[in-house]
Amino acid sequence: MRTRPLAKVAVLGVVGALALAGCGNSDTKDTGGGLKSGSGGNSSSQTYTIGFEGPLSGDNAQLGINEVNGVQLAIDQANKAGDLGFTLKLLKSDDVGDPSKAPAAEALIAQDASVMGVVGPSFSGATEAVGQKYGAAGISMVNPSASNGTIQTLGFPTWHRIFPNDYAEGPAAADWLAKKAKKVIVVSDLSAYGDGVAKAVIAELKKDKIPVISQGADATNTKDYGPIAQTVTQSGADALFYAGYDAQGAQFAKALVASGFKGLRMSGNGVKSSVFTDGAKAAGEGWYFSCGCQDATVAPSATQFTADYTAEFNTPPSTYSPEAFDATNILINAIKAAKAAGSVTRATVNDQVNKTDFQGITAHITFGADGDIPPGSGTVNLFQDKNGKIVSLGDITKQN
Amino acid sequence: MNDFMNFVILGLTRGSMYALIALGYTLVYGVLQLINFAHSEVFMSGAFGSYLVIQSVVTDGSSPPWFAVVGIIVLGLGSGAITGAAVAWSLERVAYRPLRRRGAPKLAFLISAIGASFFLSQLAGKLFNRLNNNSFPTYFNLNKHVIDIGGVTVSLVQLIIIVSALLMMLFLDLLVSKTKLGRSIRGVAEDAPTAALMGIDIDKTISRTFVIGGALGGAAGFLFGTAFFFSNTMGFIPSVKAFAAAVLGGIGNIRGAMLGGLLLGMIEAIVPTFPWYKPGFIGTAWTDVVAFVVLVLVLIVRPSGILGERLGRAA
Repeated sequence: MRTRPLAKVAVLGVVGALALAGCGNSDTKDTGGGLKSGSGGNSSSQTYTIGFEGPLSGDNAQLGINEVNGVQLAIDQANKAGDLGFTLKLLKSDDVGDPSKAPAAEALIAQDASVMGVVGPSFSGATEAVGQKYGAAGISMVNPSASNGTIQTLGFPTWHRIFPNDYAEGPAAADWLAKKAKKVIVVSDLSAYGDGVAKAVIAELKKDKIPVISQGADATNTKDYGPIAQTVTQSGADALFYAGYDAQGAQFAKALVASGFKGLRMSGNGVKSSVFTDGAKAAGEGWYFSCGCQDATVAPSATQFTADYTAEFNTPPSTYSPEAFDATNILINAIKAAKAAGSVTRATVNDQVNKTDFQGITAHITFGADGDIPPGSGTVNLFQDKNGKIVSLGDITKQN
Repeated sequence: MNDFMNFVILGLTRGSMYALIALGYTLVYGVLQLINFAHSEVFMSGAFGSYLVIQSVVTDGSSPPWFAVVGIIVLGLGSGAITGAAVAWSLERVAYRPLRRRGAPKLAFLISAIGASFFLSQLAGKLFNRLNNNSFPTYFNLNKHVIDIGGVTVSLVQLIIIVSALLMMLFLDLLVSKTKLGRSIRGVAEDAPTAALMGIDIDKTISRTFVIGGALGGAAGFLFGTAFFFSNTMGFIPSVKAFAAAVLGGIGNIRGAMLGGLLLGMIEAIVPTFPWYKPGFIGTAWTDVVAFVVLVLVLIVRPSGILGERLGRAA
């Protein structure tokens, strides 16, 4: 009885959202048309703005704050260096990590004619929602954290991503598992992210000739992980890969301990967070995580960054801060290069971003034709939960 | 066989919680012939209410002596029940009674209950947080195997859930069949106008029915939070299942709700033990499909549920 009125409401909501999205699109085209006058006004002024879009409030605010601090630090350092010949400004735009709020956040950035590029959006869903709009506004996107493996195929004209996506991360994780385990069970949370990672991991494990069992545990309606954990324990697999997010991962970890699973437990970047370690507590001990990201606290190339970040924000950098710092520096360099070449407009900045060849603190970064880093480049690192802290074990391909 | 029994125990644990929640649906249906769709948030409030009490008496990671643990669990059940009862009582006052006074159509009750449900869930999000995996402090080893017969194990937390749920159900059964309050509930359920002529205060009886159902739901919230996690949106899925369990057993029928809850929990848990079970084919992701196929099949054969709609008339 309940589903019926709810379903109707849902249908209405979807239709409404589509209608709104339609309106949004046409709006953006208008802004795109008005862009020329805007950028003309810019070249006379010597202040350029770098936008940041990500969650600055709500459940996932911590991730957005990690990133926006990295952006702020890069901009402050560039301004302080004094050799820019222009001033940089940061424009923060909060999308709460929610695809439905991303268009408004994008509009806030796009309407400011001094914006030459944007770092973000932080999340894959939000990115999918506004990638086309940033493209229409001509704003170069340099993404530090949206890891979905299909975004680069969506044809966003100004898309760039500085780290390996899920389709690069999954196989790396699988190859490592293949060295460790004789039989692997892969549990997906059936979300867009989890499903993608699970498929990538399974395909690679099969290539490595490791027997794989695949299971689904829908994150939206699984509240009791007991039966799935019991299944894992009784499957005879000596390793588990969980493709999903942190909060459910923590519940799953607890259930696995309850059911007595003794094998190796591993997950991807979706679980690597303090939400997992705080939620699972002792049950999370020993979990491995693969992530195409850096642990800024230990990476030697990032020691200066870590010191500067800690000095400026009174807290050490965390997940995706170094990536955001690198992404911002890529944009700054592109603005510099565009200025050296004669004119700073959104289009010339984007051209310069395309040509990026940048040694950052996370990796050496260049962009392929699809805006992602070329296949095979970029480092996937292995992490582990040790006493409730996530510790980096280094490049996953070099681990035994 | 051992594997099968382990899954059955998981199912009993899950089913006991479904049964406690299902009783709230069935009790209200009995007296009002209405589905209280805000009951999911009564369950949720029980978890938050008991959390506030528990975290103030015990610190995370401590290991008090066994009698203190028993005391804390009773306290948790009690505070969960009181919170649940208080929320259910206010719910009846705010979302049901004004409509009942004005003789509103049945659909209006559904809408006001859904509204109240959204309100309560968001209120909890506002007051506490919107994280989806809050957990209670750990003050005893949940996974300690208290029973271990040839590989069939029952952990401490499973035993606590099953035993306390059974005790509460027994208590409710006695309450309804033996006491004066129980008699008036049954009277209102059978024929409200006649019951009123016999001198039963209908408003009071309905209100108390909500309170009893709310107390059971709130206590279930505490058990659920202890075993798994709690959040402001935790209520929806278990409550939909519990509602299905109430229908499976026969809505309006108290023993039916208990049976339906235990049965549904077991069916869900034993999906991975089916002979045709093949990981990747009919895996655990199919749990809900199997559970609801069983529900549909039972209702085709017995439209009024396994034990029948004893207390009520058709809605």
